[in-house]
Amino acid sequence: MTRIWSRKGQVRRQSAYLPPTPQTNRRLPGFPRQGPKPGRTASSAITVDGLIKRYSEPASQAEFIVLSDISLTIGEGEFASIVGPSGCGKSTLLNIIAGIESYEGGVVAIHPNAVVGGAGPNIGYVFQTPRLLDWLTVEKNIHFVLEAQNVPRSRWPELVATNLAMVGLAGQERNYPRNLSGGMQQRVAIARALAIEPDILLMDEPFSHLDAITARKLRFDLVDVLQRAGPTILFVTHDLAEAVFLSDKIYMMSTKPARIFKRVRIDIPRPRQPEDEHIVELEKTLMREFFSVVEAKD
Amino acid sequence: MPPRQFLPRHVVALRVSSILVLLLLWWMASEAMRDTQILPGPVAIGRTIIADLRTPGPYGESPYFDIGITLARIFIAFTTSMLLGTAIGLAMGLNWLCERSLLAIIPLTLTTPTILMVFLVIMWFGYSEIGGLVAVIAVVTPYVAVNIFEGTKAMDKSLIDMATAFKAKRYQSLRKVYLPQLTPYLFSAFRYAFGLTWKIVALAETFGLKYGIGYMFFFWFQQFNIAQTLAWIIMFVALMLILEHAVFARLEDRVFAWRTAHAR
Repeated sequence: MTRIWSRKGQVRRQSAYLPPTPQTNRRLPGFPRQGPKPGRTASSAITVDGLIKRYSEPASQAEFIVLSDISLTIGEGEFASIVGPSGCGKSTLLNIIAGIESYEGGVVAIHPNAVVGGAGPNIGYVFQTPRLLDWLTVEKNIHFVLEAQNVPRSRWPELVATNLAMVGLAGQERNYPRNLSGGMQQRVAIARALAIEPDILLMDEPFSHLDAITARKLRFDLVDVLQRAGPTILFVTHDLAEAVFLSDKIYMMSTKPARIFKRVRIDIPRPRQPEDEHIVELEKTLMREFFSVVEAKD
Repeated sequence: MPPRQFLPRHVVALRVSSILVLLLLWWMASEAMRDTQILPGPVAIGRTIIADLRTPGPYGESPYFDIGITLARIFIAFTTSMLLGTAIGLAMGLNWLCERSLLAIIPLTLTTPTILMVFLVIMWFGYSEIGGLVAVIAVVTPYVAVNIFEGTKAMDKSLIDMATAFKAKRYQSLRKVYLPQLTPYLFSAFRYAFGLTWKIVALAETFGLKYGIGYMFFFWFQQFNIAQTLAWIIMFVALMLILEHAVFARLEDRVFAWRTAHAR
């Protein structure tokens, strides 16, 4: 059963129009994947079609178009990046997909799928800033989302331990976020998002507030983590180099009006190195094109 | 000059010695006056307090009954105003209609002088237990409501979005996202409301109620017995200080442990 977030964020079911998903594709939230994901390349995980988001200022009654006619398709298990200048509405797009913000037109559909009991697909979100609950320990911060996603309590210790270890923070369970550095806090946020074993992982410039060295290390860690966990990723950044290094696919966005002006597939084999000549070459080409479009607007 | 490091025991020592200095000054003043009718010394007052705790009051009631009834009045009025104020503050913070309509009314209640409120309530309800409670609740509740309202306005929307993105349940968000952000405001409301409550309870007891510590110092005031009036005032203040420091301060330290917590 596919769930469609329609206008104003209301949830509409389309079970009447779509054939039911085979039982084998169903997965209770919190249960590990059995072997490789079915239909990895065949099915799409996120489909956005003709999305329109307007924002009206209450004081002046003026209306801004935040997103105009955005369409994208991200396949299951794919790493897709959206690159655009700040203020182009990238974060808004992620928020709409996450169900935090409403929208005025178009379709946003998230597969696979939904599960018995009507909960949507698992979506993990890593924000620009850690957004941890400072009054809870690292462990309890992760418990918070596990409880939210109805993960059985018996699995909590294992999920906390493996995901903290994955981001290099084993042993910090009982520590409070305020005692950790900014980079460590952001790692907790990544562990928190991964702990729910997400089908879809949304990442909004997760490394932009960190120093270059920490960011570089976390990028390597992320690639590593993804090979093991393998969710579909939608990654937002203003850093083309980062996008080229990480992604399978890049959408380039311009502002005024916010729209996608280019789609690039990155076929450079993994594992990649940021200094690899193919990566640097592609980055240069894209950079030129990106700025010719973005700067022409100003 | 680098800032001096104060250890907890230094702070305690400082507090104790400043109280001792105050007692010393009081003692010196009373010696200089040489009139125990006008300004009895600290030792004489101490004796009076001990004696008072063994003597029945003007209605033959135990002095502990007076102390107890004052505490009970404070407790009831304080709890009611806290609950009521928190509910109103939350309603204002979460509901646009409540916010607009109540923001116009609350300044009216905040500006009404407390003593006038007490007299007004006595005229309406007579010298009754209900009258005293209504007076206190009417004065304290708006302060609490305003504080909580400000707390709801200062909440971090990005954390609420985080909870929504991860599909946190309503009770989870309330307990772990909203409430912890409100606690500083709850505590400041708590302290302020407590201070206000016991002052008004003392006032109400002085002017309109039977029994209680306030009633006792009014009783002795009418007989112009300075030693007894002072003794009851000191008992009252000491009791409130103990409550404030022993109960609230400890509670606050526990709730805010995460702010200073370190790795085990």
